[in-house]
This record gives sequence, structure tokens and C-alpha cells, in this order.
Amino acid sequence: MVLNFKNTRMKTRIFQYLLLSGLLISGFGCVKDVSPSDAINTESLATTQDGILNVTNGCYALFKDNIEFNGTVDMNNNYLRQYFQLCDFASDDITCGQVTEDPLFYSFTLSHSPDQSNTRFFWYVSYKIINSNNTIIEIVDKVSDKTNDMKQLLGENYFLRAFCHFNLLKFYSKPYAIDPDAAGVIIRSSTTEPAQKARSSVKECYDFIISDLKKAAGLMNASRGVKYASKEAAWAFLSRVYLYMDDETNAIAYADSVINSGSFALEDATGYKTYFPNAATSPETIFLIAFTQADNKGKFGSIASMIYSDGNSGWGEEFASSSIRDAMSDHREDARWAYIDSLKDDDGGIVKKNGIETFYIKKFSYQDGDPNLSSPVMFRLAEMYLNRAEAYAKQGNSDKALDDVDMIRQNRGLEGSLYNRVIPNGYTALKVVLKERRIELAFEGHRAIDVYRNKLQMDRSYWGYHLSGLKESDIDLSTKPTGYANEIVDYTNPRIIYYIPVDETLANPLCLQNP
Amino acid sequence: MPLVAQTTVRGRVIDSKNNQTIPGVTVSVKGTYNAVLTDTDGNYKIDVPTSNGILVFKFVGYKTQEIEIGDKVSIDIAMNQEDIALDEVVVMGYSQKKRSEIASAVSIVTADKMAGVTTPNVANMLQGKVAGVEIVNSSGAPGQEAEVRIRGVASVSAPQGPLYVVDGIIGGSYDANDVETITVLKDAGATGMYGSQANGGVIIITTKKGKSQDTQFEFKATLGKRVADQGHLKMMSGSELYDAQKELYRDYASGKIDILKFYSERPRELRTRNFNWEGNMFQPAMVQNYYLSARKANEKSSYYIGGSLFNEEGTLINTGYKKLNLHANHTYQFSDKIRVDNNFNISAYDGTSYDYMDMYYSYLSLPWDNPYDSSGNPLFVDGTSTSWWSRDKINPLHTIKNSNHEYKGFDVNYDLVLDYKITNWLSFSSSNRLSASTTKSHDFVSKLAAGTYYGKGYINESSGLDYGGISTDLLKFNFDGKIHSFSGLVGVEGQQDHFESLGAEGKGLPEGFSVPAVASKELLIHGYKDASYMQSFISQFNYNYKSKYFFTGSYRIDATSAFPPKNRNAHFPSVSAAWLVSNENFLKDLKMVDMLKLRASYGITGMKDIGAYKYMGLFDLSTQYNSDAAAVPYQLANPDLTWEKTEQFNIGFDLGLFDRLTINLDYYRNVTRDLLIQVAQPLSVGFEKKWENVGRVNNNGLELTLSTILVKSSDFQWTFDITYGTNSNRLKGIDTPIYQTLNGISQIYRNNGELYVFNLPKWLGVDVQTGAPLWEHLEKDANGNVTSRTPTSEYADATAQEVGHALPKFQGGFNTFLKYKRVSLSMNVSYMYGNDVYNFTRKFMDNDGHEPYYNLMKWKSGWSRWKTPGDVATHPSIQNSALSTENSSRYLEDGSYLKLRNVTLRYEIPQNIVKKLKLQQLAVSFSGDNLLTLTKYWGQDPEVTITPSTYVMPGVSDFKYPPNKQYVFTLEVKF
Repeated sequence: MVLNFKNTRMKTRIFQYLLLSGLLISGFGCVKDVSPSDAINTESLATTQDGILNVTNGCYALFKDNIEFNGTVDMNNNYLRQYFQLCDFASDDITCGQVTEDPLFYSFTLSHSPDQSNTRFFWYVSYKIINSNNTIIEIVDKVSDKTNDMKQLLGENYFLRAFCHFNLLKFYSKPYAIDPDAAGVIIRSSTTEPAQKARSSVKECYDFIISDLKKAAGLMNASRGVKYASKEAAWAFLSRVYLYMDDETNAIAYADSVINSGSFALEDATGYKTYFPNAATSPETIFLIAFTQADNKGKFGSIASMIYSDGNSGWGEEFASSSIRDAMSDHREDARWAYIDSLKDDDGGIVKKNGIETFYIKKFSYQDGDPNLSSPVMFRLAEMYLNRAEAYAKQGNSDKALDDVDMIRQNRGLEGSLYNRVIPNGYTALKVVLKERRIELAFEGHRAIDVYRNKLQMDRSYWGYHLSGLKESDIDLSTKPTGYANEIVDYTNPRIIYYIPVDETLANPLCLQNP
Repeated sequence: MPLVAQTTVRGRVIDSKNNQTIPGVTVSVKGTYNAVLTDTDGNYKIDVPTSNGILVFKFVGYKTQEIEIGDKVSIDIAMNQEDIALDEVVVMGYSQKKRSEIASAVSIVTADKMAGVTTPNVANMLQGKVAGVEIVNSSGAPGQEAEVRIRGVASVSAPQGPLYVVDGIIGGSYDANDVETITVLKDAGATGMYGSQANGGVIIITTKKGKSQDTQFEFKATLGKRVADQGHLKMMSGSELYDAQKELYRDYASGKIDILKFYSERPRELRTRNFNWEGNMFQPAMVQNYYLSARKANEKSSYYIGGSLFNEEGTLINTGYKKLNLHANHTYQFSDKIRVDNNFNISAYDGTSYDYMDMYYSYLSLPWDNPYDSSGNPLFVDGTSTSWWSRDKINPLHTIKNSNHEYKGFDVNYDLVLDYKITNWLSFSSSNRLSASTTKSHDFVSKLAAGTYYGKGYINESSGLDYGGISTDLLKFNFDGKIHSFSGLVGVEGQQDHFESLGAEGKGLPEGFSVPAVASKELLIHGYKDASYMQSFISQFNYNYKSKYFFTGSYRIDATSAFPPKNRNAHFPSVSAAWLVSNENFLKDLKMVDMLKLRASYGITGMKDIGAYKYMGLFDLSTQYNSDAAAVPYQLANPDLTWEKTEQFNIGFDLGLFDRLTINLDYYRNVTRDLLIQVAQPLSVGFEKKWENVGRVNNNGLELTLSTILVKSSDFQWTFDITYGTNSNRLKGIDTPIYQTLNGISQIYRNNGELYVFNLPKWLGVDVQTGAPLWEHLEKDANGNVTSRTPTSEYADATAQEVGHALPKFQGGFNTFLKYKRVSLSMNVSYMYGNDVYNFTRKFMDNDGHEPYYNLMKWKSGWSRWKTPGDVATHPSIQNSALSTENSSRYLEDGSYLKLRNVTLRYEIPQNIVKKLKLQQLAVSFSGDNLLTLTKYWGQDPEVTITPSTYVMPGVSDFKYPPNKQYVFTLEVKF
């Protein structure tokens, strides 16, 4: 009897303990769903209003951010830094003052390879932006009743998709004017298409870009300002695209649309001297990428760092070449000299770095007084005049071409030296236009493609470490260098463009490499 | 009511074989905590109840004896030496087993084997002592923990380290001085009980506990010096560099050096300048450790409390690490049925770290630069300095003086264990741990420091808070029969963990201030939170027949929040069996064989720590555009993602012969399936990779441990152990190879290949006629077979091929211990063979003239520079060396090494002096760590990391904090 009683009491106690612990555990280890505290789940994007705005803003952010690539975040890897360096370091506007292990050096020496981290990153981040664009386009396309704001965002995404494809073509494919049937880049227009895809031809890519831009222009009626794409930016871009295609009529028509829109005005000579640090508020700017103080990359990664330094702010290893300075030397009153500045020593002489005279470039400095901060301009009004002038010159209309060139000159302090429709000796209208274009748009990512799409030669017979094997002791600034390889680069040289990244050709065999 | 009467029993304990008295024997009253220890003459006296007392005599290495007290007042006994191999009790995590019963591959390291190693972390104590366990010190930075790998690398993406269990509960914190035993569980037979956390093996730490009725105090003080060990790496002196730079002025065509140009650009007085950067940046540093503990046990309770203070200065100036740890455990026997344990551990640490660039410049700055001004202060150097020769106008000594990289943290662990004996065969135990920790890091650069923060300053502070707990509730049963014995457990476990971080970063700090509040520009804030949950069902069943045949089976089910809802649960079964052949009648009487056990096990373990949210498609919100919120594509979705599982099969035997020799041999085959791999996507998709479960890794290996007692007499002892482990690693089931690249160095993971195989152009040397670098170009046919191999001097034509592997062929250690009367000497050596190391620093320090303003490393004998056609040289002509420093097998070196890890000489002060001081034991020792490294590797240190992470690739040696040679003096006191 006693035993039985003890047994039940024991049993109850056991059950009590088990119940208690069961409660403890189920409360304790209850497996809940955990969501990240700082990221948006793709599935929820379509359902929140904010989501589409945030992702579109993210596309702009990708132009300036250093994102993880190859397992690391390299401060040197951001879209815009590579964009300007890949173009201008291969041109005759900038000379190299110091040998370096950084792959930017290969743009100077033309010793490209498919595993350069800068070209691989540029390809990758461009397509990441395109993927974002495609995600938004697919979501918004399904919405039946789009608000004006939503249409604006949709238009911006079309614009950016076209912009990224166009810039990819610039670096990885032959210019349209040389061969429209050459291999272009991979067109990505959907998030669900197969990962393996071949390159489209240059012409197919241009058609795709034009179609995107026309859609964009039609949708963007609620502009968010110059820090974002707008209808006028789409027109300005179309003007550039048609110019590169040698379609003069359309290039002129779209340049006209922008110039006659009344929304923009050229900076005058005084205003131009402080234009770039204040581009966001200037009437000349059509579209730029906004950098805030939080985006200041400092010495390790700002666009300014390689081409400008105040002693500490940057590396300051690449300088304005003697070639561009000679082109501008006739007119020291030119307002555009404000952006070329040499480092002087205590006696007033120009300091040399490894034998090369320092001529810093200031177009990417001094926003908010910081030597490394600027919001780079992608489209501005001056380019529209120059696009139009080049198109007129190619149509044979030299008067109108020179008028547009003069329009620029009289706003750059050269009102005393206008062409007044007279072509100087030894020049053609086209040469005059291209020279003005070079000086006006120097260091803004235009020169290399402007030279090659016009089937000209790049002449870099000036001192700099692009000359392989150069020793400081070989430099004699009073003469020009002779006998070095790659001083003159012809437009037929396969190295006017870069190799497709090795990661792409390995994982996507349908994408063929450049010769 | 009369109290239970007490009498005093006395006696002496001797060894039955040699009649020597045995000090330190625990004499206790059975079933209570009433215990004393025999003194140095083997005598004891203990108070016992006058009714029903049984005295239990226990001592390590001897068979426990029980004697009924009856009415005796004097009990002398002779103890018999034990078969350690059979009777030692081993903590296996959720349960305990006698060594004879263990059917798995388990290694045990006791405190005495770890003595002599002064380190704040336990992994260092295990180096070279456990077969199959690879311990790598990838950095000599103070406070840095060693990396541990058990039985090869089983995963590509997941952290590889073992699970740590402290005092029976997963997780926890401790100090090396509090450790009594470390048990390493290697195969699934043993680790299966830990299920999804056990892919990397399990290391169980048991801390010291109270043993005797007299309070025992232990004090240990260690003091010593450490110096940086740069291995074979030596940088050139001012005059050596000066002479080497003449090569830059050689004319290629004529082969002659233009000496006039050289002198015009390199003034002769440079040759006399020689600032020793290495000697100034790395200085001898002091290390100290103080430890004090007290412990006691009586019939109702036992306790242990220990405190340890560790302070090491770093050899790189302005680095260091300090740690204070308090550990206490307390056991209270409420009644003969209920026991409660309370343990807690508090630890606080404070360290000063360094910036990678300061390390970089310590090696590469030119000896022609004097970083001190005339008053002896570090010189300010920036881009405008014209008399600074080094390439990058920066003075690391000045930067270090004007910056600070500090980190600190604090963690608390509290354990509450309840053990309830329901009947004599059934008990219930509830083990619970609550833990919380905080960390804070502080990176500060003053506005006075030259470089990117000049004039602005920079501060970045970040704090983290981590808290969570675990509760394990088990029912345990145990039937001990003469023929059949059963035991086992069944229960549940729940874990949760929460993490929050907060950080602020900014610039524009006024001079002399270094907190985030004073930063005035470029302000950024960071912060996020995270949580994880896991619930498990645990069970185990053990059976043995006549202590000859043993069988264990376990089954665990885990559910975790890390995986998508449809793959949340996983099952982990395991079985193991052993045959104690030496207990069979035909072997029992064979004196030669102490123990022969054959065992086999099979089980499945898993891996859950892949980081959260891997299955979701994500847009990252932590950026902005024009100060508006911006979201950037971050991860491709995979709703089918699931666990990695490893099937493990192990067979082995343990053999003890002549009381002198023990051999343990294990063979294992592990297959890890459903590998979590980030599969490369074509970049034009906009993502580099996507998480998928793809492929398998096979790890097959052999482990051998040989322990011998060469000499064992009353005065002289000599033991010698060898451990050896070899592992072969194969990746299977992936169709397209996966490439991982960092700093341009590529590793390939392909079908039938090993992990961490270097995939680079093959360096062929220098062209004899032109002095140009040569790599190999391969032509392949349509099937991928190589049809021709030709040398080329064009780097773009060099074909990447498999040129080396980071994983070793075999590794292990030797340990020996000699003792003569009161003097003992121990030595520990560890070795590794067959691993290749990519010497990335040579790209900078051996740069063929590409960087004339970086210092160079002193050459290995046999290296030579090409000068004129016909020269057979190892290094190309400086005038014809385009791309010669690009990544290739040129810098891939043999990283095999043999290291003398520790030598300790110890002297026990004679007992007559010790007694006069009223102490129990006093000893002094001298030891040296890392005294000798034998290796062909021509760089800092062939020991490189084996853990992949954001900035790190396994097998690559970048500028790292050098390891240290350490010389210490230790004083041990027991009283």
C-alpha cells in the first residue's frame, strides 16, 4: 500500500519535472523564422512602395560604392574611378608619373590582361546595376495603373540600363563607326534568362540602347533633379549615341531638344572656374552622380587621388600631359586652365616626380572644400554644343559647326579669339571641333573614344612611364622621346579596347574573348 | 538527540609493487564528500562516522580500493597500479565512460602533459599532442587564437573549427590554468551526439574541481621575454641595398652598368646610411601570467575558485593583450538524491592591435631613411617631403605614435546543473547555461598623422552585445550487471543566441580628442541585429556484454533557424562497437598484453554555421544615395538550401604492451555531402556567386599515436610519444571547377582535386639568351588533354595550371619527458610536411626592379640575377622583366617544417626545505617556446592560415604579425 502511494507520488514528480523542462525547452529553443535586420527580401519588393524607390536609388549608389568583389572590398574598386581611369589613362591627356602594381598602369602601357581587377570589377558592377534595373522594370511593368512618380522611376531604370550597356561597349567593343558588326557586349534585359549568353553585335546593342532611351524619355515627366536621370538627360544621351553612330541628323535633333528646352545654360568664364566643385547647383549640369561627405573615399579610392594631391590627400602620380597643355598653351586666359595646377617648389620651379613635371588635375576636387570630394558630371550642356558642332562639320556645314564652337569659347574667356566662321590654316572644320572638344571635355572620360571613333591615331610621344623601360635618367624635357613602343597607337590596334574578364569567359563559354 | 559519533582513523598507503609510500592519495568516506589526502610520507588521518563506514582509496594510476572501517582505527593499505588504459574515466560530453568502454576515436590530454606551455588559449597547448589534430598559429599577434582542424578540411564555405564544450555544456569560457583535462572527440561515434554542430570534431574541456578536505592552494607565476621570429626573412642593410640597386642601371645591350648615372641618382653617402627598420619596429616584449586557486571538498560540497592574470606585450611596438579571468565551480549535495552545481566564469580582456599598413612599411621602408628627427622624435613625412627615399611618403613610426587600435571585451557565463536521482538506475539532469558578452573596438588616427586622414583624423568605434543560453534536460538510466550492462539517456536541448551591434565612424576630430562625439564630418553610423534558435532531441544507448563487447548507438534530431522552413530539421544517427580482446579468456592471462581493443564506428554529423539568411534573395540597405535610403542587390535566392552532412566511418585499435608501450591506430573515411558552395555565375548576371548544395568532399586518413615508457625506475623516468596523421582530401561531384581568387592568386576546386589547390601560371625560370622571365604555355586538344608545353615570355600567354596545394601530406609531433629524482626535462616538437605556401610578400620584397623604392629581402644562397646572354640565373634581367612579379608558381614554396615548440626544464625544491616554508610543493622551471624552426621556406613563417575569409586565402603568406620566440621562468607553489 505504502509502496503504491510512493510510486504515484514519484510518478507525478517525474511528470512535473518533465513538463517543466519541456516548457523551458520549447520556450527556450523555439525555432522562429529570422529575417535580416538590414536587408530587403526580394519577394517583398513588389509589395512595398518604398522598395522600388530604394532599389532605384541603389542603382545610383552602385556608381560610387566600393562593393565586395572576389571576396574582398577593394577601396580602389568603384564604378566611376575605373570609368574615368580606363578611358583617360589610355588617352593623350594624362601622363603616368610613377610605375605601379595597380592595374590602372596597364591602361597607360596597353599591356592588358583578362584578369585585371579593374576591368573585371567594372564589368561586374555594370551588370549588377543592370540586374537591379531589370528587377524593377519587371515589377513595375506588371502594375496596370502607374502613378507619375512610378513612371519616373521606371524611366530612370531604362535610362540607367542603357547607360551601363553603353559604357560597357565603350571599353570592351570596337567603336560603331569602325565596325558595327563587331562583337558588342552581352545584352541583359531579363532576370530569368539563362546565365550563359553570347555577345550581341555592336549594332544590336546600339539598337537596344536607343529603344531603352526612347522609352525612358517618354516616361520621365516628374524629374527628381540633376542627381537622377531625367527626360533631358535621355535626350542628351541620345545625342551622344547618334553622334557615335555617325547619324548626324539625329545627333543634331536631340542636341537641339536639350539646348532649346530652356532648362540649361552654359557657365560663363568666371563661373566655369568653380563649376566642377559646385556642379550640383549649376545650370550647365544635365546629370551627375551625387557624392556626399559620407562618400568621400580619401586617398585610397577617390577619383581625385591619382591625379591630384595637396601633399597628403592623394597619391598624385598622374598628370596633365604636355600634349594637352600644348594644345591649350596659345591661350593662357582660357578659363579651363583653372583645372590644371602644377606643384611648385620654394623657388617657384615646377616640382618633378620621377622626372615628370607635376601638373595636377582638379576637375574631381574641392566639393565642400575637400580635395577628394566631387560629384562627377555625366552629361552637361557644353557637350551638346560640341556634339552638334561635330555633326554639322561631318555634314559639311562648317559655318554652323564653328558657331557652336564659338558659343563654347565665348563662355570660356576666349571672346577675343573666336573663329567667326573662318577655318585657320592647316585645319578643317572637323579638326577645329575635335580640338575644342578635347580641351573642353578633357579628363571627363571622352578623349580615347573620340580619337578612335574618328579613325585617328593617339600620339603619346611625350615623357611618362607609359613608355616601357623608361628610366628617370633618360628623361630630357627639352625634347620628345623617340624609339619607345606604343608612342603612337593606331585605331586598328586591338588594344584600344580591353579584354573581357576571365571570370566571364570561364563561366560563360558562349561569350567569346576579344583578340 | 545524540550526534552521529565520530572516530579518527589513521594509516599509511604504499605501492604494492615497490613498497614506496604514495603521497596525495585521496582517502574518503564512501558516498560523501568527506575526504583527505595522504601527506608526503603516505600517512593520512580522517574523521569517520562510527557506523557503516567504508573508506575509499583513490589515486591516479592505481586501482581504487574500498575497505570497510568496521571498528578499526588504523588501516594501512598497499595499492595496486592500475591499467590506465582500461579504468580511467573519460568525460564524453553528455555522459562519462571508462576508457575500456569507449568504442570511438577519442584522445585525452591531461594537465600534466600541458604544463610548461604559457599561453592564454588552449589550442596552443594541444600542438603536436593529438594525432589528426592540426593546430596552426597563423599570426603572432597578442591574444590571437590558434586555428584548429580535426581530420582534414571537410567543407568549402563553412567555418571548420571544432565545437567546444566546457564542463559538459556547449560553449562557455575558461582560462588555460583552470583546465584539468582536454578530451578530443574525432569520429562520429563520439561526436554524433552533437549532431549539426559536430562536423569539425568536438573538444571537451574539464576544469579543475575540489578534491580533498584540506583546502588546497595553488599559485603559479610566469615571467619572461619574447622576441619576434622573422624566420629566414632578413631585409637588406643600407649598403647591401645600395650595391643591389646598381643592377637598375645596367644597359641591356652592352651588359655594362652605367656607373656615372648610378652615382648621379644615388649619392655615395647613401651607402653609409643604415636604419634598422625591423629592429626598431619589432622589439623584445615581456610576458607575465599569475594564477592563484583554492579548492576543497567535504561531505556535502566541493568548490574550486581560480583567478588568472595574463599580460603580454606584443613584439610589434604599441601592441599587446591583457586578460583577467575568474573561474569558480561549486557542487552541493542537498541530499543523497539531489545535487546542484553552480559554475561561473568571468573574463575581461583589453588588447591593442595594429594597422596592416604599419606592418607592411616595417619591412618595405628603405634603410636610407631615418625616421627620427634631431631631437629623437618620429619625423613627419608626407607627399611634400623631398628627402624621403622610400616609395610611399609615410613614416610608420610617426603613424603608430599618432594612432591607436584598441579592443576590449567582457564575458560572463553562468551554469546551473541539477541532478536528481529518481531511483538507483534512473536519474534526471538539467544543465543550463546563460552567457553574455560585450566587445568594443576603437580605431583612431590623429589628424597629425600623415596620409589620408591628415588634418582630419579618423575614428571608428564599434560595440557588440551577445547573449543567449542553452538548456539540456536528460533522463539517464544505468543497469550494471555482471553479464549484461545497459545505460543511456534521452532528452531535449534548446539554444538561442542574440547579437546586436552598434558603431559610429567619422572624421574631423580636433587634436587631442578621440571619441566619436567630437567628429564633425563624414559621419556614418552602423548597427544591426541577429538571432538564432535551435531545438534538439538527443538520445543514446550503451550496452556491454561481460565488459568484453561494447555497443553504443545515438540519435539526434536538430531544428535550426538558419535553414529555410522546408529543410529545417535534420537527423543524425551513429553507432559504434568495440571488442576488448584483452578481456577474453585467451588473452586475459597473457601478461605481455595490457590491453587490446578493436573498434569501429559509423555516424552522421552536420554543419549549421553557414551564417544566416543564405537561402534568401536579398537587397542590402546599408548604403545611401544623395542621403536617401538605397538598396543594392546582394544575394540570389535559393529556397532549397539545406545542411551539409558528413558520413563518417572509423576503424581502429588500441594496444597496450608490457606496461610500456601503447599504440593507437585509426583509419577513417569521411564523406561530406551537399556541400554549401557559392557557385560562380557569369559576371554578366550581376552576381558573382549563388549558394547551392553541390558536390562532396572525401577525407580519408590514418592516425597513429605511439606512447612509450622507455625507462621507469624509482629515480628515473623517460617517456617518448609520437603522433602522426595523414589525410587525403578529394572534392567530388562538381561538374564545373570553382575558382577562388584573392589579390590575383587563384585556387581551383575541381572534381577529384583537393581543396585549396593553387591554379597559377607555371614559372619556368629565366631565358638564358634574353634574361626574360619564362612561364609555361599549354596547348590542349578538344578533350582538355595537354598536347604541347612551350615556354613563353608573354605573361598573357601563360596558361594557369595546378601548381601546388596548401594542405599538408602529413603532420604530427614528438614529445619526450625525462625525470631524474627532482629534475625533469620535457620537449615538444611539431612537424608538417608537403604543404605549399604562396609567399605573396616576395612580390614586393623580391621585385626585379619594379619597385626601386621598396627595400629588398636578402637572397637565398643559389639565387642569381641574369646579366648577359648565356647566364643561367634564377632571377630575370631587371631590364627585361615585364610582369615577372605577376602571380605564378615562382613564389610558391615548400612550407614543410619541423618546429621545436617547447623545451621545459623543471626542478622541484627538496621536501625538507618545502616543509620548513610550510608549503606542500615548490618548483621552478625555465622554458623556451618556438626555439627552432627547420624549413626551406624563405619567408617569415611557413605556418599560414587554413581558414578562408574576406581578406584571407588559405596557404597564402601575406605580411603578418611574426611568431615569437619566448623564454620564461615559472614558479609553482602548492600549499
